[in-house]
Amino acid sequence: MSKTVCLAGGLLLGVGFVAGCGSGANSSGGSSKELSVAAFQGGYGIDAYEKAAQEFGEMHPGLEVKVEGDPRIWEKLRPRLVAGDPPDLMFPGWGMDHWSLVEEGQLMPLDEALDGPAWGGKGKWRDTFMPEILKLCQKDGKTWMLPYYYMIYGWWYDPGVFAKNGWTPPQTWNELLALCDKIKAKGIAPITFQGQYPYYMIEGMLLPWAVSIGGIEAVDAAQNLEPGAWNSPAMVRAAEMICELRDRGYFQDGATGMSHTESQTQFLNGKAAMLPCGSWLSSEMKDVMPPDAKIEFMMCPRVEGGKGDPTAILIGIEPWMIPKDANNKEMAVELFKYMTSLEKAKEFVETKGTMMAIVGSEKAKLPAVLIKPAEAVNKSKTVWSVQYRMWYPAMQKEIEGAMTSMLNGEITAKQFCDRCEAAAAATRDDPNIPKYKLGS
Amino acid sequence: MRDRSRGAFIGAFLAPALGVYAFFVIYPFLQAVLFSTYRWRGLSQNKQFVGIENFRNLFSDPVFWQAVKNNLWLLFVAGAIAIAISVGVATGARGKSLLSRSLRGVYLFPQVISLVVVAILWYFVFSPEIGLLNGGLRAIGLDSLAKPWLGQPSTALAAVGIAFVWYVSGFYVMLFAAGIQSIPSEVFEAAELDGAHGFRRFRTVIWPMLWSVKRVAVVYMVINVMNVFALVLLMTRGGPDRKTEVMLTYLYEQAFTNSQFGYATSLAVANFVIIMALSLGILFYFRRSPMEARR
Repeated sequence: MSKTVCLAGGLLLGVGFVAGCGSGANSSGGSSKELSVAAFQGGYGIDAYEKAAQEFGEMHPGLEVKVEGDPRIWEKLRPRLVAGDPPDLMFPGWGMDHWSLVEEGQLMPLDEALDGPAWGGKGKWRDTFMPEILKLCQKDGKTWMLPYYYMIYGWWYDPGVFAKNGWTPPQTWNELLALCDKIKAKGIAPITFQGQYPYYMIEGMLLPWAVSIGGIEAVDAAQNLEPGAWNSPAMVRAAEMICELRDRGYFQDGATGMSHTESQTQFLNGKAAMLPCGSWLSSEMKDVMPPDAKIEFMMCPRVEGGKGDPTAILIGIEPWMIPKDANNKEMAVELFKYMTSLEKAKEFVETKGTMMAIVGSEKAKLPAVLIKPAEAVNKSKTVWSVQYRMWYPAMQKEIEGAMTSMLNGEITAKQFCDRCEAAAAATRDDPNIPKYKLGS
Repeated sequence: MRDRSRGAFIGAFLAPALGVYAFFVIYPFLQAVLFSTYRWRGLSQNKQFVGIENFRNLFSDPVFWQAVKNNLWLLFVAGAIAIAISVGVATGARGKSLLSRSLRGVYLFPQVISLVVVAILWYFVFSPEIGLLNGGLRAIGLDSLAKPWLGQPSTALAAVGIAFVWYVSGFYVMLFAAGIQSIPSEVFEAAELDGAHGFRRFRTVIWPMLWSVKRVAVVYMVINVMNVFALVLLMTRGGPDRKTEVMLTYLYEQAFTNSQFGYATSLAVANFVIIMALSLGILFYFRRSPMEARR
């Protein structure tokens, strides 16, 4: 029984204990000689941040810049935030509940710094960020986080395989159905997906199709929790399209049980012809990429006759932030200004193979796999992002579960949408969940 | 006088252990109970006292009940199978045959492997494309039976249950083997003379005499099952659609994904109460030795 207590406590007490004992005191004092950075150590590593930190340190003699990385950094940051002893600059990664940090007043408001000069003194710092991406970091007009790199969502295919078979990437839903038929006849699964992480299907098919059918307003309304938006005709039709692909056997067998890496490996090994994924795909899979595999980005096929902008493109960010209790906020701002300077941004694009939210960084020499996604962003008149996922994590979990059940054939498209709507209603009606609105 | 110095002597020896226990077990537990009455995101010092609100929400939370149901399934199905297998292996490993000796050599293997490794091993057994199980089925031409075992609702929990049984059985074999060891050899000889062999001997002699071991094993199994966490998190993350969600994976989600630390703590308290109730029930059930009853 004591084991239970330990477990009951164990997880919580990492945080709870410091809550009890920390009493908010800043034990490390206000030394301005030290600047600590905590960064999520994901596919892009932390070497680029370390390099920038080192260069920054050399520009500021006497300043010691420390970079700490961890693949689960958000778990380490929690107790530090509770105890009032956070790093000066942090990139807590996708596992952090960012907006709760804002609600708890744990972040430094950044507008004043953004209105200051950019690195090198030319223009305002704010103007160095792509405005539609900076917007994702705001609530009620206030900026709480800063974008760094950004991801572009779409579908991927192997141009070598397509050329060999005389296939062309489908631009529309009907073209997709016709192509899937041909691919299936060749004995290849037309589409595979990351079944264990259903958000790939939500952001790779469901929501882009809802945008294509009902226009961006349809999905904006859903994100804004407007009543009836999650089971609107556009959303139901988008869900039906997924069921149609499922029922025609166009999804790879067993995909619902696959992790992201498993399904992506299946795709790279030619077992499946298409895959929904973000622009991080090539860097995530570089170690297992077969030498003859090529990958190319395509937009999620649009729906003929739909109201949506065919150039609409879905992007996502993983933001950086400065804790309210940081000891050295001023230098943290300066360091991040340096990291987001055009020169450093271009360097990041070239060394890491990702797009950056910094105006002009797309002029860097892009890796081949990013040329198409970058073009798509350039051409698009509508750039949008799935923000409710970070605003309402519990609702997202329910929608993901419903998506899995739909992909497994347990529920229909209508039932799926009703579950989503119920989850949205529960969120809407819960006075303890802070509400957000797109673009406000 | 002697009594008092004896008490001081005992106290002096107990104090360090009690102190450590109080600090690392009782204090965190009381703190957990306290936190469960707050609304707290676990991201700052802000806590709002809400009384029993977390518990009220918990009892009306269908996911919580789904998780409890899955825990109980693991207890009554997987746990029962694990104990049955353990008793069988422990009995079988008693003899001097080659099979018995090799059983003695291997039964603890799964226990010495880290649980994380166990979870990953079994994950790869059940993996849809590269999995051992589907690979085997395809190799013998049973392609149609190949399934995404961990991805479909009908098999996911059973697959996790199999991994659980494989992992925990070794410990219970050890427990029961020790229990059988401790049965005096005269008893076996007497049984022999009375003509009780094989299963008859097991049913009428060994099984009743394992009473105290059974009690420990069952209580321990309750604790083990109710605390299942890493295995599920690594194999299925509670999916597909909550079909393998257990109390502690849900607790983890509430705390770290949803920033509902107060709610998560109320889940921990509920988990504790369930384990306590089941354990006390078992202790009550096994309160008297059947051997004593016969006297």
